[in-house]
Amino acid sequence: MCVAALAASAGCRLLEPEPSSLNASAATLPGQSTAVYTTMRPTMGAALNDFLNRRPEPTQPIDFPHNIHVGKEIACEFCHEGVDKGAVAGIPGLRTCMICHAAIATDRPRIQQITKMNEMGIDLAWQRVYGFSNDDNVKFNHAPHIRAKVECASCHGNVGQMTVAERAVDHTMGFCVNCHNERKAPVDCLTCHF
Amino acid sequence: MDRRSFIKLTAITGTSATLASCGNPENQLIRFVPDEDIIPGVAVWKPSVCPLCQAGCGLTVRVMDADADVVRNGQAGLVRIAAAKKLEGAPDHPVNRGGLCARGQAAIQITYHPDRITQPLKRTGDRGQGQYEAISWENALAEIVSHLDMLEGAGNQRALACVSRGGRGHRAAVLRQFLARFDASAPITFDLFGDDVLRRANALSFGREQLPTFDLANSRFVLSFGADFLGTWNSPVAQNVGYGIMRQGRAGIRGAFAQVESRMSQTGACADEWLPAKPGTEGVLALGIAKAIVDGQLRPAASAGRAGAQVDGWTTGLASYAGADVERSTGVPASRIERLARQFADTRPSVAIVGGPALAHSNSLFTALAVNALNALVGAVDQPGGVSFTPQLDVAAAAKIAGAQATMATPLAQFAADTVSGKSVPQVLLVDGANPVFTTPRAWRVAEALGKVPYIVSFSSFLDETTALADLILPDHSFLESWTEAVPESGSTTAVVSVAPPTMRPLHQTRATPDVLLEIGRTLRRPLDLPWQTFDEMLGASVAALPAASADVDTWTDAQAKGRWEGTLPGALAGSASAPAPSAAAAFAEPQFDGDAGQYPFHFLPYPSNQFLDGSLAHLPWLQEMPDPLTSGMWSSWVEINPATAEKLGIAQGDIVEITSGHGKVQAGAVISPGIAPDIVAMPAGQGHRTYTRFASGRGVNPIELLAPVTEAATGALAWAATRVQIARVGPPDGRLILFAGGMREHFESEVR
Amino acid sequence: MPQWGMAADLDRCTGCGGCVVACHAENNISTVGPDQAAIGRAKHWLRVERYWEGDFPDVRLKFRPVMCQHCDNAPCEPVCPTYASHHTEDGLNAQVYNRCIGTRYCANACPYNVRFFDFFNPSWDKPLQLQLNPDVSLREVGVMEKCTFCVQRIKGAQIQAKAEGRAVRDGEIQPACAQACGARALVFGDVEDPNSEVSRLSRSPRGSLLLEDLGTQPGVVYLSRQTQV
Repeated sequence: MCVAALAASAGCRLLEPEPSSLNASAATLPGQSTAVYTTMRPTMGAALNDFLNRRPEPTQPIDFPHNIHVGKEIACEFCHEGVDKGAVAGIPGLRTCMICHAAIATDRPRIQQITKMNEMGIDLAWQRVYGFSNDDNVKFNHAPHIRAKVECASCHGNVGQMTVAERAVDHTMGFCVNCHNERKAPVDCLTCHF
Repeated sequence: MDRRSFIKLTAITGTSATLASCGNPENQLIRFVPDEDIIPGVAVWKPSVCPLCQAGCGLTVRVMDADADVVRNGQAGLVRIAAAKKLEGAPDHPVNRGGLCARGQAAIQITYHPDRITQPLKRTGDRGQGQYEAISWENALAEIVSHLDMLEGAGNQRALACVSRGGRGHRAAVLRQFLARFDASAPITFDLFGDDVLRRANALSFGREQLPTFDLANSRFVLSFGADFLGTWNSPVAQNVGYGIMRQGRAGIRGAFAQVESRMSQTGACADEWLPAKPGTEGVLALGIAKAIVDGQLRPAASAGRAGAQVDGWTTGLASYAGADVERSTGVPASRIERLARQFADTRPSVAIVGGPALAHSNSLFTALAVNALNALVGAVDQPGGVSFTPQLDVAAAAKIAGAQATMATPLAQFAADTVSGKSVPQVLLVDGANPVFTTPRAWRVAEALGKVPYIVSFSSFLDETTALADLILPDHSFLESWTEAVPESGSTTAVVSVAPPTMRPLHQTRATPDVLLEIGRTLRRPLDLPWQTFDEMLGASVAALPAASADVDTWTDAQAKGRWEGTLPGALAGSASAPAPSAAAAFAEPQFDGDAGQYPFHFLPYPSNQFLDGSLAHLPWLQEMPDPLTSGMWSSWVEINPATAEKLGIAQGDIVEITSGHGKVQAGAVISPGIAPDIVAMPAGQGHRTYTRFASGRGVNPIELLAPVTEAATGALAWAATRVQIARVGPPDGRLILFAGGMREHFESEVR
Repeated sequence: MPQWGMAADLDRCTGCGGCVVACHAENNISTVGPDQAAIGRAKHWLRVERYWEGDFPDVRLKFRPVMCQHCDNAPCEPVCPTYASHHTEDGLNAQVYNRCIGTRYCANACPYNVRFFDFFNPSWDKPLQLQLNPDVSLREVGVMEKCTFCVQRIKGAQIQAKAEGRAVRDGEIQPACAQACGARALVFGDVEDPNSEVSRLSRSPRGSLLLEDLGTQPGVVYLSRQTQV
């Protein structure tokens, strides 16, 4: 992608945001952070990606097979437990996996891998497949959709046939609004953007 | 990662890995297994207790998931934590009834403050340079234990001293017990804007050495002498709740309110009638009103009972307080005194309040006694709409702390003087919840005194002026990470014991100070045998002693869930205030002012600022940026000057002026304020920290430095309104005064003058 | 369809400013710092104004909390080229950050000066960001922001009520400012419901609207401070 190449060649780091330089003489004591949390993108490439609504394909830490787990009739909400309670479905941490895998399939290499990680206290750093960038200002709330009996697959594709989740559905605003129109759900801006 | 984390994280910690490529930074992140279970996106509400002032308001805290940056085994990464997100007033708490003041709202920034001390520190550079190295808790505790063992070994336990915030709750009780069992001196407490004078007066007048509670909601006329009871004084939120009802909460009834003060406070702005009186004469005015009531046959003098007997001349007709005399003394016209007297006596119920600058003079005990007598005269004591005293748990009785109580505490001024002179120099000083280097007049030489103490240990979470002198810092948890508790001294008509478990796990390697004290007590060569292993064990024991609401309720379980116990205290657990020996009735004495009136023509009034009180909250950025209610000032110090005075001195809005007392000087921008008497200048306290995190260090000036060491005789309390000053214009505005009003915002009308 | 409105009782308001800080805490309003505040860029969605009258010693001071008035005839709405500022069916003036391109014409038009521009990307010295409310957007550089009547709380209550199969109760939705106020000076609710507390207060003879003669039809009724006879 020529645009990406352009971004890459334009140099990586933008301005490093400064901690509030309110008092230059306040030395940092041991253990204190000098970092800053900001909406500014860290690189030109990241900013460009956001602007063009492009997200690189996620690379997952482990090849998780949804098909096997769904095949065992584990409900989506067993692992994505927040989905009917609040805004966030949640991607499960290792502790959820170990609920079963402390005892089940412990001879498999992937299970042994995660068991070792769990012992070391390292969790799986899943990368988001679905989601919105900050400047979309979208406050999507899962729970009302679950209560309205919207199938997980409607928005996330047939995950039951995938291994790691793939982006099967493009979450454009049109995608959301079409369904809202069909189901007579509210379509004013403040439904989602606030 | 939770769904909100699409906000691109830039750096993690100073030691983190680089974000090398132009690709997705999430590639580089390590995530650790969380220490707790929390469902993302779902809020839980947990009780807590606000510790910022003595009111002890109940909180309910919204806790949700968040990703915290941590370093584990040398690796930087993220971990999901349950994080406090918002503080609200607990809806049914008897003190604050769901309300929460600006300071309480901002308190959450203490936990997440970037300049929090995150682990034990040992001084490396010279004292005051702020150079420390991290040490483990094991080593830190071993070090302090060895210092204390040395004292004990030499039979020198008295050489352990402590400066603390004080208070009547459980935490203060643990500290006092620790010191008592060690045979150390009792902790020295100092609260610049504290109300020791009022407590003493209440003890004399009513037998209760305690702050008063006002039933404003049922009152029809409130007469306040100097108390900023809707802003910073006593139990502000409780008083706001009562005030709202007093005004518009009863169909067809609106309570009236008059405020007597010479600088309009935030509270004074709400008054129907505002009267300035000469500084230090508020007691005279109170007695002038009392005399008018008695002479007008509106009440018999005898109804003031014991409180009346505390005032010299009460039983003989208050001859010195006739209208004309009072007018001469206070500046309040006699006709107004007469009218106020009628209003105060005829409107029932009515109540008088006294606090703030009125009790910051050398003669303030008399002032407080006079107002107490006035309340007693009109039958306001222990009546609806009047003044009463919150039944207060006797923590020592509840926690069964028997035996040795610490000796009487030395006043801070005397402690500093004895240390500087060498008469009595502590070898080890503990500092907990106090910053006396900042909150005391330079004249007391507290910094110099601390310089003489060989070993100073602080439990503070921030490097303030006093902690910057510490040799060892054992940082406490923030309150949201701690067992919180309060035994409110005022603000409620029923007894309340607030208590709550931590709302979140500690973010850093800090430890709860009461637990640290208990551990030290166990580890000493001669263990202190304190009866509890942990602070929550003590809380549990104390609360379990309280009567349950009903038979099937376990008091301790219920209290933790609700964040409080409330009810009727059994007699054995009710605090009985010490009734001091009856003293001679108090007479008016002219207030002493430091500084010759010719050289220092103005009275100086440093007042507790709405944002920072005595400066302990200046490190919170929301409070720095919050516009001051009276001037809209942000991030600044200022001097409030009367318009006529300003004109005479050639001072315009924003000009830099210098305020000089006999003990120091400061410079700040001038704010022309119509609400201040021509011979008074006022400055908010709170700014002027030499060191107190990036948000407050080097910002503004500290008016407390200028104060003269005038004290009130009976209590030794600092008379902080007793300093005279000179003002001089130094130059034009230089940008240091930052106001929110002006420009595009509403205009400050006095600017036009 | 509810119509959201607020009543501010100036006889109860004591000017304490708890509402101001509560708003910052709830709505992820970034602190701009002293240099930016000095040039007028502090973002106090809700501010307490002070009005002095008279000269010492006969001086009076009145406080007034001012936030976006959510005007039914809002001057900020027709001037927005992208419909970022528009009126919703339930009476709110919406500010849609996505649509906003930062012309700042809305702030220019607003007679109440309640709109604030993000002149730079906000930043929080870590770990202050842990306090941020996940239910509220983080506004980036170049957009306008203002009081939303805590729309996240309105939506949250509506979703909860729907889940429980009932209507939203009067008093169930409290914006952060109203919740913090000890004196209960700020009351929020549905002005279409004649029995709601905000409706009752709006009918008070003490009630008036700010800059009423401009015809903005503000959604906040101010109950003036009574004088004592």
